[in-house]
Amino acid sequence: MADRMEITVNGKTVGVQKDSYLLAAVTDAGFEVPTLCHHKDLTPGGSCRLCLCEVEDGGRKKLVTACNYPVRGPVTVRTDTAEIAQHRKILAEMYLGRWPGVPVVQMIARECGVTTSRFASEITDDAPNACILCGHCVRACDEFMIERVLEFAGRGIKRHLTMPFGEVDHHCVTCSSCAYVCPTGAIEIVDDKNRPLDAKAIRDHGMKVNAEMATLDSKQCRMREVGTANIVDVMDAYDLLPVHNYKFGKHPEAKKLYSTTLKAEYFTQGAADACWRGCSMACAKAVDGFTLKTGPYKGQQVLVDGPEYETAAGAANMGCFDGDFCVEFNFYCDTYGIDTISAATAIAFAMEVFEAGVITTKETGGIELRFGAADEALTLLHQMADGEGFGVDVGQGIRWMKEKWGKDGEHAAFLQDIGMEVKGLEFSEYVTKESLAQQGGYGFAIKGPQHDEAWLIFMDMVNKQIPTFEDKAEALHYFPLFRTWFGLMGLCKIVWNDVVPADNAVQEEAHKIPGHVRNYWKFFEGLTGIELDEQKMLDQSARVYNLQRILCRMLGFGTRKDDMVPYRAAGPVTREEYESRADRYDGQLADVVGVDPAGKSTEEKMKILRDFREGQYEKLADAVYRRRGWTEDGVPKVETLAALGIDLPELVEVIKADQ
Amino acid sequence: MASACKVKAGDLGKIADRVNASFGRYKAMLMVCTGTACVSARSFSIRDRLALKIAEKGIADDYLVVGTGCNGFCAVGPIIVVQPEGVFYQRVTDKDLDEILEQHLVGGKPVERLLYEDPATGKVHTRMDEIEFFGKQQLIALRNKGIIDPENIDHYIARGGYAALGKVLEAGDPEAVIREVIDSGIRGRGGGGFPAGIKWQSGRRAAGERGEVPYVVCNADEGDPGAYMDRSIIETDPHTVLEGMLIGAFALGAREGFIYIRKEYPLALVRLEKAIEQARSYGFLGPDVLGSGFAFDVSIHRGAGAFVCGESTALMASMSGRVGEPRAKYVHNVEYGYRDRPTVLNNVETWATIPVIMDRGASWFASIGTGDVAGDPWAGSSGTKAFSLVGNIANTGLVEVPMGITLREIIFDIGGGIPNGRSFKAVQTGGPSGGCIPASKLDLEIDFDSLSEAGSMMGSGGLIVMDDQTCMVDVARYFIDFLVDESCGKCTPCREGLFALKRILERICRGEGEEGDVQFLEELCGTIGATSLCQLGATAVNPVMSTLRYFREEYEEHIRDHRCRAGVCKELITYRIVADPCTGCLACLKPCPTQAITGEKKKVHVIDEEKCIKCGICREVCTFDAVEVV
Amino acid sequence: MIRVNDTNVEWRSGMTVTLALEAMGYDFPLISVFVNEQFVPEIDHDSFEIPDGADVKAIHIHHGG
Repeated sequence: MADRMEITVNGKTVGVQKDSYLLAAVTDAGFEVPTLCHHKDLTPGGSCRLCLCEVEDGGRKKLVTACNYPVRGPVTVRTDTAEIAQHRKILAEMYLGRWPGVPVVQMIARECGVTTSRFASEITDDAPNACILCGHCVRACDEFMIERVLEFAGRGIKRHLTMPFGEVDHHCVTCSSCAYVCPTGAIEIVDDKNRPLDAKAIRDHGMKVNAEMATLDSKQCRMREVGTANIVDVMDAYDLLPVHNYKFGKHPEAKKLYSTTLKAEYFTQGAADACWRGCSMACAKAVDGFTLKTGPYKGQQVLVDGPEYETAAGAANMGCFDGDFCVEFNFYCDTYGIDTISAATAIAFAMEVFEAGVITTKETGGIELRFGAADEALTLLHQMADGEGFGVDVGQGIRWMKEKWGKDGEHAAFLQDIGMEVKGLEFSEYVTKESLAQQGGYGFAIKGPQHDEAWLIFMDMVNKQIPTFEDKAEALHYFPLFRTWFGLMGLCKIVWNDVVPADNAVQEEAHKIPGHVRNYWKFFEGLTGIELDEQKMLDQSARVYNLQRILCRMLGFGTRKDDMVPYRAAGPVTREEYESRADRYDGQLADVVGVDPAGKSTEEKMKILRDFREGQYEKLADAVYRRRGWTEDGVPKVETLAALGIDLPELVEVIKADQ
Repeated sequence: MASACKVKAGDLGKIADRVNASFGRYKAMLMVCTGTACVSARSFSIRDRLALKIAEKGIADDYLVVGTGCNGFCAVGPIIVVQPEGVFYQRVTDKDLDEILEQHLVGGKPVERLLYEDPATGKVHTRMDEIEFFGKQQLIALRNKGIIDPENIDHYIARGGYAALGKVLEAGDPEAVIREVIDSGIRGRGGGGFPAGIKWQSGRRAAGERGEVPYVVCNADEGDPGAYMDRSIIETDPHTVLEGMLIGAFALGAREGFIYIRKEYPLALVRLEKAIEQARSYGFLGPDVLGSGFAFDVSIHRGAGAFVCGESTALMASMSGRVGEPRAKYVHNVEYGYRDRPTVLNNVETWATIPVIMDRGASWFASIGTGDVAGDPWAGSSGTKAFSLVGNIANTGLVEVPMGITLREIIFDIGGGIPNGRSFKAVQTGGPSGGCIPASKLDLEIDFDSLSEAGSMMGSGGLIVMDDQTCMVDVARYFIDFLVDESCGKCTPCREGLFALKRILERICRGEGEEGDVQFLEELCGTIGATSLCQLGATAVNPVMSTLRYFREEYEEHIRDHRCRAGVCKELITYRIVADPCTGCLACLKPCPTQAITGEKKKVHVIDEEKCIKCGICREVCTFDAVEVV
Repeated sequence: MIRVNDTNVEWRSGMTVTLALEAMGYDFPLISVFVNEQFVPEIDHDSFEIPDGADVKAIHIHHGG
């Protein structure tokens, strides 16, 4: 990426990145140029022309505007020649003639040495908050919000700001970005219907996220382009994409489900496509004009909301590396009201069971349910919705299928190992085998193995930031509580970590994205007037989290045994799986377990590894329960409830016996 | 025509032979000009009636009526040219048709009263090629004008059309095409004068580096007042534009092309749509061009009539559904143009010239025009250029001349000089933001560079001739007024600066000019010219700068003496009747809209200055030159 | 030999941050790199040379979908 080069600004040498704008280099070199249309968080306007600089490139001198001139070679720049000063003077005089009362205009005029203007005319507007046509608002509406509610109309001297047809446009979500970036106060916010305590504080922090989305997202996670589907590419690269019921973490054909493919062939671009109009991230992508090939709407063109990461990864988990399948599966799950994750994981399980020969076409009603059988998977989905055929079995989930086919005892252990559910809920779409912390993230999650409590794979497995049981337990304390807090507030988690501030890397505890955590606190504070810090936030969540665990206990799921994960989540169940990563597993036996793998059969090695890994998980459970203030059996202690001020008799009653 | 079967390169000659043979069976072909100017003088009706009369007479097997594109000599339309002998009939009306039929077609004797009489020499010319207007022209882009039916693809093929494309596809070497275009030296006819071949080369390179499919675009958003070269080319010969684009697309590896045409060109649009449809049916456009495997198609995008949309970045913004405003060109369209893909844009005339270059070769083209462009396209201006000749000139019309011709040759030899006994004062070249060139520069050999040096520009090829009754301050005011309306208003110098220029010029024309105005104009023009975002603003100062350069004394007279020597600026003039020549004929009394003239028969009339609104009607109607402006 | 996220990586002269990340197969867009606890901005990844024996942290900022 870098392509660094050196340029000379007023005789001073500065390093710049190729194709970056000259204005940044000029500023970096410690010089200032006047501007009335540039805004640090918006694309260059290039309209006020005040930031003129002289660029000498290969002996040829030319005047350019620094804000939008991309540096492409080792140029020599002057910011202050007599010619430039003369032009700036005239330009400043133009502004002063038209809008003499605007403070920023007066300031720029002073900087350019202008006190009076020869440009006064019948259209002179001496209001201090006159619109000076800088275009910040127009660009903010487009770039922050992906709306284009504001635009200039009228040519030449009649140019003015407007909404379409000069009417108040209902697409305006009153986000106030335009007013926020307006340098003169020409756009005023007259009504704050929600009456927050401190609207400015909320805006100050919200606008930071808007600006990050506009300026950083395209280089970071590309949420606006592809939404969470960007993760497909990452998980495949890091061996974490579930393939064939979580047997493997990558696949040569996975590229067919990559976000790049989805973008090129499916996702509609450039639309404000968000959960709610006004979200500057707008990560909920859509596929316009998709023609269905199966089911009750066969042949019709429909709009499909998605696919998101979990849906695309679910397709990989079923071995169906086919964009058309993925989009169609997505559409029918949505239409039938079926969760794409549970459906995909359940079907992937049924596929493996079929391939293992535990069930045959006799059970499936003739469906050849092998991995990659896309047409069959769709047939099964329609059956699940209709309550017909084999769909009746699969539709009731993995726990139910395990019990049905494991009854005779012969296959019970195998089904238990590969049946990817905890507490009756199907796993979401990440391979956790090599990350103990993430096994816990799934296993200890209150409502079952979903990724919205703690996603620790990178911190644990890649970054090696949480090596000890205590480190992992701390993460399994902090993140579930932090993320519960999002739910409590009705706030979206995605703007916390799917875009990060430019300076995040140098922050302490960068993995928590402290800048964004602060945004949430400030939002809370601006709304309620209550000051928040990390402990207060965690306490708010802990009350609810412990209450949830007690409710879970009431429903018969809230103890240690309910937090255990199937072995597929923790290690290789089959020979095939072990041997696909033999180097890694053999290495771990030697280095971590302390057993020489040489001369041992795969089965022997698998047994040793399994004992080790299951033991690790038990130790993790001990550490986590301790950190959470729960008993060894995973039930909240009465004293924990007391400390949180929720030791209500009816709650204590539920857990009394477990103490 | 319109056969569904796809034509292969080898079939082109056969089609040409067949069509030419069919033409050869006629005793004569009557080419009725159906360019916009003649159409507005009812030439469609002339064409249709003529065909009907010929059919009624039962001689339709001997005589073919063809509606052609613009003949060029718009001043004397409607025009019929009887081929092959080339008899040139002018100002034809429906009433003249029987006479042409009986006397000429049947009787074999041209209708003398409809022939062209040279106003300068009084000589009557029978044949078109005897007329001086056509004499010095050299036709490349307009090679088929008046000869073919623009709505019939076979006519184009009969004239060798699409053969250059066939040759290029057969050779199959895109790089060679680009080399040929570079070697020809052809520079962009839209006004910028950038060497087309170098543009293509950059586009091809950018597309290759990024692995993206580029686009080609034809700019048909000609918006200069009084200029209609591009419109005429499309109306006359739409297929040459398509063939040029096809060759360019092949050289670049483009698969899609767009023609951005302004809304005010309905006839050109219809002909372009027909041409595209016919080219598709022949397989010249589509998935397998001429059976070569090369795929290319063209679609039309209609502009909404904003002058600034002729600027390439504004044009692409408009095509993308955004407001037609330009952006900075530090990154060129050949790198990131339409939909952020490498995009090569040329104007109509450039595209129309390409097939001829490929057909006759770069060195032939380079031999025409100025400078030696063999090694460097910037070293001169090769080839020909179309100009629309308008204003105070005898032969209004469209001409195509070799680069390097002098203004005098165009204006006096081809254009027939200044009518009504007036004298030449200036010529404005290059559209509203061109400059005004004075009589002292009439022998300037015009090309891209000489015009720039003279303070004007080639622009797209408008030539507005002005006589001595033109006030140069008023001319500057007029063009600035146009540009104030057409500036998009995005950048400050163009928006605020042009408005200020307009106010000052208006003030000077009202006689309220002040000391220092000229200096302020110069200062202001300097900043607008140097700092504007796009070429509209950068060149908008040319009318002011060039008139200040060549006619500075007129500004000074307006400011200092409150005098307009041309008698144009109303606030500075008074109409008077001079006693001597006035015969007391009463002719000026009635037309005066304010009854400001009093007088009796055979007595000298008098104008009441209080009532006079200086409309100039009295001066126009007076046959004794008795009304004077002071 | 250098350590990248507790993994041994063969060192060679002129090994930049970009090359070290490539060696690990790290192509995630949000990675903060620290070489011997010193932060290396992304713009310098191509030019910053890692000394032999260095401890490199490549912190991936990611919390799932």
